[in-house]
Amino acid sequence: MTSLGRTWGHLTLPGKIVFTVVPLLAVLGAGLVATIVLFGGAAWDLIQANLDFVRFLAAATITLVITIPVAFVIIYMELKVIAFMNLRVGPDRVGPAGAVQSVVHGLKVLVKEDFTPTGADPVVFTWAPVVTYGAAVMTLLVLPFAPGLYGQDFNIGLLYFFAVGGLGVVGLLMGGWSSFNKYSLLGGLRSAAQIVSYEIPLTLSVVGLLILAGTMSLNQIVQQQSGWFTDWFVFRQPLGFVIFFIAATAEGNRTPFDLSEADSEIVAGFATEYSGMRFGFFFFAEYVNVFILSALTVVLFLGGWNAPFPFPELSLALDPGSLGIPLLFLIALVPVIGTLVLAAPFYLLRSSMRWWVALIVGFVLFNVVAGGLTFAWAYVSFDWVAGLVWFMAKTFGFVFLFVWMRGTLPRVRIDQLMGFAWKWLLPAALLNLFATAAAVVVVGS
Amino acid sequence: MDRALRARLEARFGDVLTGPLRQRHDETELRIAPKDVPDVLRSLHDEPDLRFELLADLAGVDTGEHMQVVYHLWSETTSDWLRVIADGIPRDEPRVPSITFLWKGAEWLEREAYDMFGIVFEGNRDLRRIFMPPDYLSFPLRKDFLLPDDAARSPGEGARQMERANAPHATPAGSIRRTKA
Amino acid sequence: MTTKTGQHPSADDPRVMLDDSAGLYESVPPYPPRTEREAEFYTLGEGEMFLNAGPHHPATHGVLRVVMKLDGERIVDLDPVLGYLHRGVEKLCENADLHQTIAYMDPLEYVSSLFCEWPAVMAYEKLLDVKVPPRAEYIRVLTGELNRISSHLLAMGFHALDLGGITPILYSFIERDEIVDLLASITGQRMLFNYFRIGGVNGDLNHDFMSRLGDWMSRAGSEVMSNTTLLNENEVFVRRNRGVGVMDRETALGMCWTGPNLRASGVPFDLRRAHPYSVYPELDFDIPTRSEGDSLARYLLRIDEVKQSLRIIDQCLHQMPDGPVTAKLPRLLRPRPGRAFAAVEGPRGEYGIYAISDGTDQPFRFRIHDPSFLHLQSFNVLAPGGLIADWMAINASLDPIMGGIDK
Repeated sequence: MTSLGRTWGHLTLPGKIVFTVVPLLAVLGAGLVATIVLFGGAAWDLIQANLDFVRFLAAATITLVITIPVAFVIIYMELKVIAFMNLRVGPDRVGPAGAVQSVVHGLKVLVKEDFTPTGADPVVFTWAPVVTYGAAVMTLLVLPFAPGLYGQDFNIGLLYFFAVGGLGVVGLLMGGWSSFNKYSLLGGLRSAAQIVSYEIPLTLSVVGLLILAGTMSLNQIVQQQSGWFTDWFVFRQPLGFVIFFIAATAEGNRTPFDLSEADSEIVAGFATEYSGMRFGFFFFAEYVNVFILSALTVVLFLGGWNAPFPFPELSLALDPGSLGIPLLFLIALVPVIGTLVLAAPFYLLRSSMRWWVALIVGFVLFNVVAGGLTFAWAYVSFDWVAGLVWFMAKTFGFVFLFVWMRGTLPRVRIDQLMGFAWKWLLPAALLNLFATAAAVVVVGS
Repeated sequence: MDRALRARLEARFGDVLTGPLRQRHDETELRIAPKDVPDVLRSLHDEPDLRFELLADLAGVDTGEHMQVVYHLWSETTSDWLRVIADGIPRDEPRVPSITFLWKGAEWLEREAYDMFGIVFEGNRDLRRIFMPPDYLSFPLRKDFLLPDDAARSPGEGARQMERANAPHATPAGSIRRTKA
Repeated sequence: MTTKTGQHPSADDPRVMLDDSAGLYESVPPYPPRTEREAEFYTLGEGEMFLNAGPHHPATHGVLRVVMKLDGERIVDLDPVLGYLHRGVEKLCENADLHQTIAYMDPLEYVSSLFCEWPAVMAYEKLLDVKVPPRAEYIRVLTGELNRISSHLLAMGFHALDLGGITPILYSFIERDEIVDLLASITGQRMLFNYFRIGGVNGDLNHDFMSRLGDWMSRAGSEVMSNTTLLNENEVFVRRNRGVGVMDRETALGMCWTGPNLRASGVPFDLRRAHPYSVYPELDFDIPTRSEGDSLARYLLRIDEVKQSLRIIDQCLHQMPDGPVTAKLPRLLRPRPGRAFAAVEGPRGEYGIYAISDGTDQPFRFRIHDPSFLHLQSFNVLAPGGLIADWMAINASLDPIMGGIDK
């Protein structure tokens, strides 16, 4: 054994980590600096020259990545909300109140065997979840989350949304057909029939809204609804809103229209033969779809990022940069002082409390207060924070509605489902369109 | 015990009875030959003073000497269960007419009796095994079918004695349980 | 095909299925049809296909396998395949003594165990000419009706679950858990009670049971009914069931139906009144019937029955006499040679036991009659013409329990 090996053997575990990571970081850092110095200018020029493309790439990456936490939150929400509706506790093992449960689900799905059944068409079988998930994620690109916070502002945004969103059914059909399983086939065909049927009332229900808005850009539709909540389109298109929401439930394969994965009838529908991460993609796509459909409902009918009332213009003349060096002292001192001030009442008023317990309480309280103040400052100062807060609040309200329906309603039958689309929703959507057009002609002239 | 029912039955079916008409507790027992089963049951089902509308049970029985098929019937005209026993079916080739023309629901009951006893119900259009696997050859509830852990036979004889096709016939005659009940 | 030892192959021999590569994927059995009906069923028409549901399908209430012949989603014909849970209880009972056989009855219909024990002890009591003390009879009725309520609640919850509603089953389980805990306090078991004995019951009611029962009875009616409102007033649920699986009176009698399913078709046949046993003649209750005969009627009838059962429990508690709970019997029971048939009205219909004694301490023949077996048989009548989803509603409303069907 060499002396180097002996020294290594004497190191503790943290020592081993430090001695490995520090040189590695040093080398990497040096390499990075060298790269930036050598090629940075050229790369910056390249980015400057293709700003549109880079912006699109960044938006696509961010939307792709953002779906995962969103799906995690919705899955956790579904588990917990339905549990409370069922008078159960729900997940409570992983994380506080089971909050990390869906992440663990995701990891579990990731490490499971990825199995392709005998007789399946491997290429189609593999690509089906990709198509479904891709279609779901691509629709996020045109969603305006907040003022200035969107992937692309198409002037045909809504058309793009329906076109790409409808692509998801191709994935389901591919999965159903290629699995070499009759349950999968039935599930795939059911979802194809269902989504193609409901696509029509879904699209027709917003045509009235388009007549009123005069644009297909989702951004402009939201902007037109600013002001008081009475300006939202839901009050001008109530029938369209109802039709849209019902059709969206069917589009998202959610209860009571979740026929394509009716577990008590056709086991798991198109996903019967899927396992591992391929199933995970289907699973994620469903929850991303729930989010997207809720978001679209909010954007079209409930004012998107707009607050329900015009927020009084508050401009804080707060420019931290003007403070100069004292800012550094402030940053260093405020937490200490804040913690002590908030800890003092606990220590003074409760004789049983030890000083360090009081300090911890004070620290936690300070964090809450500081976080709240920062949030309030950001809400007032930045449009997009305020917009995002309202948008997410409304969207998750609709997500809750989807979960609530799942906890309450049984599943409809396939013929009832189709009959409802063609006999009720479609005529109602046409009526809505006709009434809106007539009203525009009468009022407009 | 419903004495009036006894009188009615004796008057109506006196000529086809193969044994005494017994009554005990709330049961009345009728023994007939297998060939008379369709006629007797049809009369019991249809005739206005009998009206045995409900087939409560259909059971095969192996008495050790011959096979029986036992029907339990219920009627609102009497407070008794009526038990009709098709008696004296040979064990070697048990055959009974089916009653699925009266009660369609007897189809599976007869299938079960066939599965367990090998009794062939003539006229049942779906007489195949119901509980045991389709390629199974023995009839488990026959008295000459011995369980593998039966003390009379060593389990060491064959790996899967229950599956053996020759098990019933190889059973020593003395080990068959019999009853006159 | 014969194996090396000259024996015929068994169905669990993997080679039987692997011989023919088509057998891997097809529901068609790998042997020629044996009956007219089988040949007809396994012949596909134009545009038809087989779908194999089970034996581990999520909605088959156990290990039932159903081969469906489908035209699109419409069921043309179907063939239930049984035997996946066959334990040979009748044969086991022929090799057990009289007391032991009662323990074998419990796992038959595991959600209503007391109703499987009841006809067995009644049949033995007839064979032995035993008189059951009146207090024991009242306790049997009381515990039996409690068990009937728990069974019906489970059936109602699973009905919703099979149609895709996930919440009602958990609401049903609140009351069912309470009942099961009650029964556990006198029987010691939550599921397989093994409580009835020849000539009485095993142990008197205790204080724990009585106090909790009184507490539960004070709110049972309103809670059970409030749980059902989630389904009764649910348009989706009602539409999934109304007019599905309609059974008319004549066919129901022909299919040997009994119990709530028969009463939903308009036949007021209830053994508690039609062939009275135990102390039911002394109790005041109605036999609810419905004339529609569809899945919804069968579901609603169970709710009505729960109300009647609560009435019976109330009367039992008021009328129960004091006295012993078991008859005096020798430890080794040897009935005289003879035959006895006993049947009780269970939550699914007529549970019957036909026992033959040859004078030994073991039954010579022990026939178990289970109502679910006959209800399952009528899938052939009810399901064809409907969709796969209708079959779920029919299956759930008939409420079969595979433990009893496969014996």
